Amino acid sequence: MSTTGLVDDNPPNIKFSQIGKPLSRTDAPGKVFGSTLFAGDYVMPGMLHLRLVRADIASAKLVHLDVEKARAVEGVVDIITAQDLPALLAKADTSEKKEQKLTTDPQLLVSERVRYFGEPLALIAAETYEIAERACQLVEFKLDPLPAVYDPLEAMQPGAPVVQAPDNIVVERKIRKGDAAAGLEKADFVIENTFRTPFQEHAFLEPEAGMAWVDENDVVNIRVCTQDIEHFRDVADAIGVPHNKIRIRGAFVGGGFGGKEEFALELYLALMARKTRRPVRLEYSREESFVAHGKRHPFILRYKTGVTKDGRICGLDVSIVADSGAYVFLSPNVLLYAAVASPGPYRVDNLNVHACAVATNNMYTSAFRGYGALQACAAYEQQMDEVAKFLEMDRIEFRRLNYLKTGEPISTGYVPPSAIWTEQCVDRAWAALGERIDSTGPVKIGRGIAAYQQSYGKVSAMGDISEAWVGVETDGTVIVRSGVADIGGGQVSALGQIVAEIFGVTLDDVAIYKTDSALTPLSGRTAATRTLYMTGNATKQAAAAIHSRLAGRAALELGVQADEIDMVNNKVFVSAKPEICMSFKELVNICAAEGIHRSQLAIFRAPFSDIIDPQTGQGQAHPDYVYGAHAAEVSVDTETGEVHVLRSIAAHDIGQCINRAAVEGQIEGGAQNGQGFALSEEMLYEQGKLVTPSLSEYLMPTSMDMPRVETIILESRSGIGPFGAKGIGEPAMTPVAPAIANAVADAIGVRVFEMPITPERIVNALKQQRR
Amino acid sequence: MFSEFCLEMPDRLEDALSILSDMKGTPVAGGTNILIDIRSQKENPPRLVALGDIDELRGIKVEKGRVVVGSRTTISDLLKSSQLLKTSPSVIDAAGQFAGQMVRNTGTMGGNIACASPAADLVPPLMSLDAEVRLASASGSRTVALRDYYQGYKQDVRGADELVTQVSWNALPQKSVNRFYKLARRRGDAITVTGVAVTLSVSNGKCSKARIALGAVAPTAIRAEKAENMLEGQVLSETLIEAVATQAAAECSPIDDVRASADYRRHSVQMLTRRLISEAWNKLAQEVKSHVK
Repeated sequence: MSTTGLVDDNPPNIKFSQIGKPLSRTDAPGKVFGSTLFAGDYVMPGMLHLRLVRADIASAKLVHLDVEKARAVEGVVDIITAQDLPALLAKADTSEKKEQKLTTDPQLLVSERVRYFGEPLALIAAETYEIAERACQLVEFKLDPLPAVYDPLEAMQPGAPVVQAPDNIVVERKIRKGDAAAGLEKADFVIENTFRTPFQEHAFLEPEAGMAWVDENDVVNIRVCTQDIEHFRDVADAIGVPHNKIRIRGAFVGGGFGGKEEFALELYLALMARKTRRPVRLEYSREESFVAHGKRHPFILRYKTGVTKDGRICGLDVSIVADSGAYVFLSPNVLLYAAVASPGPYRVDNLNVHACAVATNNMYTSAFRGYGALQACAAYEQQMDEVAKFLEMDRIEFRRLNYLKTGEPISTGYVPPSAIWTEQCVDRAWAALGERIDSTGPVKIGRGIAAYQQSYGKVSAMGDISEAWVGVETDGTVIVRSGVADIGGGQVSALGQIVAEIFGVTLDDVAIYKTDSALTPLSGRTAATRTLYMTGNATKQAAAAIHSRLAGRAALELGVQADEIDMVNNKVFVSAKPEICMSFKELVNICAAEGIHRSQLAIFRAPFSDIIDPQTGQGQAHPDYVYGAHAAEVSVDTETGEVHVLRSIAAHDIGQCINRAAVEGQIEGGAQNGQGFALSEEMLYEQGKLVTPSLSEYLMPTSMDMPRVETIILESRSGIGPFGAKGIGEPAMTPVAPAIANAVADAIGVRVFEMPITPERIVNALKQQRR
Repeated sequence: MFSEFCLEMPDRLEDALSILSDMKGTPVAGGTNILIDIRSQKENPPRLVALGDIDELRGIKVEKGRVVVGSRTTISDLLKSSQLLKTSPSVIDAAGQFAGQMVRNTGTMGGNIACASPAADLVPPLMSLDAEVRLASASGSRTVALRDYYQGYKQDVRGADELVTQVSWNALPQKSVNRFYKLARRRGDAITVTGVAVTLSVSNGKCSKARIALGAVAPTAIRAEKAENMLEGQVLSETLIEAVATQAAAECSPIDDVRASADYRRHSVQMLTRRLISEAWNKLAQEVKSHVK
C-alpha cells in the first residue's frame, strides 16, 4: 500500500460511506482464485482452430497465392483469402481511390499490396491447432518486393516510395493561437530542441484470443477479449448482415492499453464461423501478438520556446512528425491529441503547432495509453527543464511562473470546466522526494519532475453516450447491467461502488452483469479515460432516479419530506433523526408491493461540440482535462550508463476517488508502463521486420527494476464524472517518462534526446559532452 | 509450435549414456534454451533425452578444498548453498542475477555450460575459478578445462555421445577476491550485455594470481589472458589497472546486436574490468592491513 495524500481544499460536509474507500474489487476473488474465465478459456464441441498466414516482406506486390496444398491437408476445413471476402472487406485496399475509412484501415487479408511485415494473407480453419499450423507452412505465395520506406522524415521527401497516396502525409493538425512568430520575435531567448519517442508495444498479459459460433437464430456470437463490444455494428456492416445478427460477449480483459480497440480478430472469427457453420477459435501467440496489432506512434517533436529574461513563455512553435506506419487508422485523432496537448499545462498565448503523421512501411500505429498527448508531454516537460537550465532558473520556479490556472483557456482557447491543480500536484510530488542526497564516485543521483495535461472523455466532436441499467431486488440487493468492458482497471467494480453509495448498501450487495452487446445497455469503448466518467455518470443517473422514487415512498412512511431521507448501512432514516428509520429491504418490499418502479435505464450524453477549426485548432476538443505530476529520483552509472529508478512519486488531482485501491493500482501500473517507455522498451525493426518480438528482447521493467511507487491522490471534486471524479487510466502514465528523463539529465548534466534512454545512449552522450 | 520428437526419460546416468551412444540424441537438462529453440523452429531434434530424473547428477559437494557440482544442479540449488557463497562468491553473484525465478528453478549448471552461449552467466565466474568440466560417455569419461571447452560460437568439445556430468574447481583461497558483474538492460530476467568475472589473489603485497573472464563479448566466453599477465607479480596502481582494463577491452571481439553495439560492449569491458580490479585490490589491501594490525 502506498502513502496517500490529504484532500486539499476539501469541500466540507461531504461524507461518503462507500465512495473513495479502498474496497476489494468485485472482480478480485475470481482473479485471485483463478475462477474467472477469460476469452481464451472458452471451448465448444466441434470447435475449429484458426491460424493466419502472414507476409514476410514489408513492402511487396502479392503476385501469387495458392492455398490448394494447404487445403488438401487432412483436417483442414476451410481457407479464406482476400478473394473470398465479402465485397465491403475486399474493397478495403483501395488507397488510390481515396475512399474514406475503409481505404485507411489495415487490410483484413491482403488482396494485392503488402505494406507492412506480417500483413495477413490467408486464414485457415482446421480440426486442431497443429493441423492449422502445418497447413500454414503449405500455403504458397510469391511476393515481389516493392520500394519501401521506414523513416517518416524520408517518407516526406519528394520521390519517396508511396505507401499512402499521394504523398504519405496522412494527416495534418494545426493550432494557431495569438501570434507565435511575434512572440518568438520579442522573446529575450529562443531555445530550440528536438526530442524523439519510440514505438511501444502494449504487451498486455493476455494476448488476443476469442471464439465465435452461429446460434439457432442465425446470430453470430463472438466471445473475445476487447475494449469495445460495440464493434458488433462494424462487424455486421463489413460482412453484410443486420446489426442485430451479431452479438459480442466480452470477458474480463487481461489488459488493453489501447491495443484491443481493433476488431480484426472479430471479423476473422465471424467470417469463418459463418462459412464453416462451426464454432471457431483464434488465439495469437505472444510473438504473433507483437506483429498483429498497432503500436504507439513514434514521434519526432521540435520545440522552439521563446522566453523573457524573467522566465515567462512568450511564444512557442511546435512541429511534430509521427510515424503512422503502413495505414492511417487512428492517426488523425492521435495527432489531434498531440497538437492540443503540445504546450502542456502552461499558459501559452502565442502558439503555433504543426503536427502530421506520415505513412511508412513500418508496423501501423494505433491507440496506446496517452494517445499522442503522452508523446507531447515527453517533449514539453524535457523542454521546460532545458529552458530553465538555459535561464539558470530553478525548474519548479520556472514552471510556477507559467502554469495554466483554473479558468484559463488551453491551447484550443477552450476553458476546461474543472479545477487545474498542476501547481499543487508538482509541489506535493517534489516535496515527497525529501532532502537531496549528494552522490560521489561514478554513480550520480538525479531528480526530475514532469507535469501534464491529459484529456478524459472522447473527442467532443465525435459525440459520446453511455447507457446503464440499475435495478433493486425485493431482498434489497442491487443489480447493475452495463456493457462496459473491464480491461483490468476496475471499470466494472467502480459501478458497484457508485450504486452502493447511492442506496446505502455495501459492495457485496451489488451484482454486476456486464459486457454483452445484446443483453447489457451499451456503454461505449473502454478507452480515452472515459469509462468512469461516462458509464459512471450513466449508472449514477439510473441509481439516482430509483433512489428518488424510493426516498419519496420512504418519506411517506416516515412522515417527512423526501429530501430529509438518508440511506446508509442498509438502513433508510430521517437525516436529522436517525432513530426514525426502516431497513432498506422493508422499503423495497413496500415499493415492490405497490408497483413502484425499482429499475431504471439511464443515458449519459457527453457535451457535444463542433469540430475544432481545422486552420486554427480553436474550439472544444475534449470535455475536460486531468492535471498532475510525477517525480522521480534515479541513479546513473556514468561508466556503464545503467539507470536505476530509486523513487517514483505520482501526484494527481483525480477529482474524486471512487476506489482508492483501484486508483493506486492504475498509478502504479502507469509508473511501470512509463518507466519502460523511458528506459528499456525498444521495438527494433530491420527492413520493417520486428527483431525484438518476444518478452526476452522487448524489455519491460520487472519487479526487480521497479521501486515502490508512491501515490499522492488529490481530490478537487471538480471533475465532470460521478461525484466530481475525473479519470486516471491514461494520466497515470503520461508524465512518468519525462520525469525520469529529467532525472537522468539532472544526474549527469547532459540530456539524451531520444527515448528509450539506454545505457549506450547515456555513455555516448557523456562522451560527446567530454569532447 | 512444437515439432514432433521422440522423448526418452532415463533415470540413471548409465542409461542416458547408453541412449546417447548412437550419437542421435539431444540431451535436455532444464530445457530453458532448447525448448525455446524448438518452439521457434530454430532446432528440430528428432529425439530428446531428458535428464530430469537422474538424481545422481544433482548436488553440491566441497571436499578438501575442491568444489564439485553435479551438472543437473539447478541455479536455485546453487543459491541455497552456503558453501558456495564462501568458496565461490562470483558463482553466487551470477546465479542471483540469472534470468528469472522460474528459469532458475529449472535451468541447470550443466545446461548453462553445454548450451555454449557466449552470454551464459555462470561461465565467466567458473572460468575465473579455473573450473574443469567432466564429460562422460558410454565408453568412459574425461576432464576438460572450461577455458578449453569452447571452440566457437555455440560450439564446444562435447561429443554427441557425451554428457557434462560435473563441474569442479578449487575453493577460493585466502587473501583472494572473486566477483562477477552482470551488465544488462534491466535488473530482472535479462540477457547479459557484458559479463565480467575477476579473481585476484595477493601474496607478499603483490598480485599473485589474476583471472579476468568475459562473457557476451566474443563468440565464446573468454579469458583476457594478456591482461591477467600484466597483473601477476605486480603491486597494483591506478595506472596499471587502467592499462589492464584497456588490454582486456582489446582482447574481446564483440558484435552489434539488439541489446548493444560492439563499441559499447568494448567500452563496458574496460569500465567494468577497471572497477572490479580496483575494488578487489582495495579490499585485499584493507584485509592485509587489518591482518598486520
